Amino acid sequence: MTTTQKTAFGQTVHHVELADWLDVATRHHDDGYVMFDWLGVEDAGRPGAAGQRHAVFLHVIDPRTREGVMLRTELAESDRLPGVAHLWKGARWHEREAAEMFGIAVDDEPEHLLLPDSFQGHPLRKDFVLASRVVRPWPGRLEPGEDNTSAPSRRRTAPPGVPDPTWGPRREEETQ
Amino acid sequence: MTSLPPRTRGVIALLEANCTVCMICARECPDWCIHITSHTEVEQQPGSARPRSRNVLDRFAIDYGQCLYCGICVEVCPFDALHWAPEFGYPGTGSIEGDGAVAELVHERDVLATWVEKVPPPPPLDPAAEAAPETATGTGRRPGSLRGRT
Amino acid sequence: MYKAICGDHAWEPIPGGIIGGWGSARRKLVGPQVLPSLVVTVSARPDGVVLNWGTTYRVTVLELGLACCGVEVMAALDRLPELGVTPVAGAGEAHVLVVSGTVTDVMLPAVIRSFEAMPEPRYVISVGACSNTGGPYWDSYCVTKGIDQALPVHVAVPGCPPRPEALLEGLKALHGLVNA
Repeated sequence: MTTTQKTAFGQTVHHVELADWLDVATRHHDDGYVMFDWLGVEDAGRPGAAGQRHAVFLHVIDPRTREGVMLRTELAESDRLPGVAHLWKGARWHEREAAEMFGIAVDDEPEHLLLPDSFQGHPLRKDFVLASRVVRPWPGRLEPGEDNTSAPSRRRTAPPGVPDPTWGPRREEETQ
Repeated sequence: MTSLPPRTRGVIALLEANCTVCMICARECPDWCIHITSHTEVEQQPGSARPRSRNVLDRFAIDYGQCLYCGICVEVCPFDALHWAPEFGYPGTGSIEGDGAVAELVHERDVLATWVEKVPPPPPLDPAAEAAPETATGTGRRPGSLRGRT
Repeated sequence: MYKAICGDHAWEPIPGGIIGGWGSARRKLVGPQVLPSLVVTVSARPDGVVLNWGTTYRVTVLELGLACCGVEVMAALDRLPELGVTPVAGAGEAHVLVVSGTVTDVMLPAVIRSFEAMPEPRYVISVGACSNTGGPYWDSYCVTKGIDQALPVHVAVPGCPPRPEALLEGLKALHGLVNA
């Protein structure tokens, strides 16, 4: 099992290859890290992560020593994440969130409970657009002295928090 | 009726005389519920070399169906044109078929002006605080300056 | 106090309920269902004002406490026992539906089914910004932007959340609408 450690701000993150995810998690569980804290998904944009889309964090704690360990793996678009819910029951909800909200295929297929059945898309992905912010005109786009009737004479400012279309995580291309 | 504490957030009143249509409240509102339109008027002021232009408010509406009563607009207005008033009894009533109740919660300029008389005077300052600089007994320096106190 | 008024069944966990939880993990999601909740008879006298509803039917209120506004509505209902309130169970007897709280897209079918189970004449009071227009969550991917997209709303009480007295003003407004 290839794990590389990286320590920053007092926390050590073990970077795990996806193929070893289940093995490493099982080993830590058997070593005593039986308390589940978090299984989170984030964007995998980092230098060297060409072709990877999401990163999955698993934070588990040993209740005897109160030490925590953070495991991190990265997934490409079509990878499946092995489920760890059989080791820590609490991970089930987080894997459901990863499956529905991020579109990650999880091995033990958690039930579809969070989103309505008719929902399309995966809302917590970075490129998921909130339709309401696109459709609804921002009242602050008008300059003092403007009313709605005239066409804008210059490019209107965007509301705070709504990013420019060119914004977004820069993923390295595979061919680089 | 229950007596409400000072600075209770009930409804926001607009003092039109203070508004310069700077649009800061409309831009800072997290719900996008303040709608302002205006136009520019150019006037020749006696004694000035060139005509002055000023912004004239056409429409100032707050959608209370959307408002989350955060107070960001009241805090951020540089000219104190928006004030809290403790009124809370202004439900929107639609027709008997159920139309237009939420649309009635959009308060236009005239309605916002009626709330001005409900704005309470500001609560008195703490007696132990240092006097405000603009009073005669004030320090004459910026608030919080340490000169003379260290 | 609230449980004493309405009995234990009104606090049954419902999907996407007041705290937003999913209740017991073993509870299967059975789809839209009529919600058993607090049904309250309003026979009048908030703040000393006597509301003569002038109706031949009992005015009953079904409160859907979906989120934070539900707590404010509970505080308002809390005062009604001394005003002559008779709590009754069952949604099929309610004439006024009080939608208080964020209506998520997953919850919307249950709210609509509750409305459809009500006998005529039926009225809807929308309490709070979230059920008026979507409120602070107007841009969310899973929030219905106002219950007036699905149901007719007769009185909309603004606030985030509105005071309990504001809800009583809303009931007064409904009284004015019904009697006009």
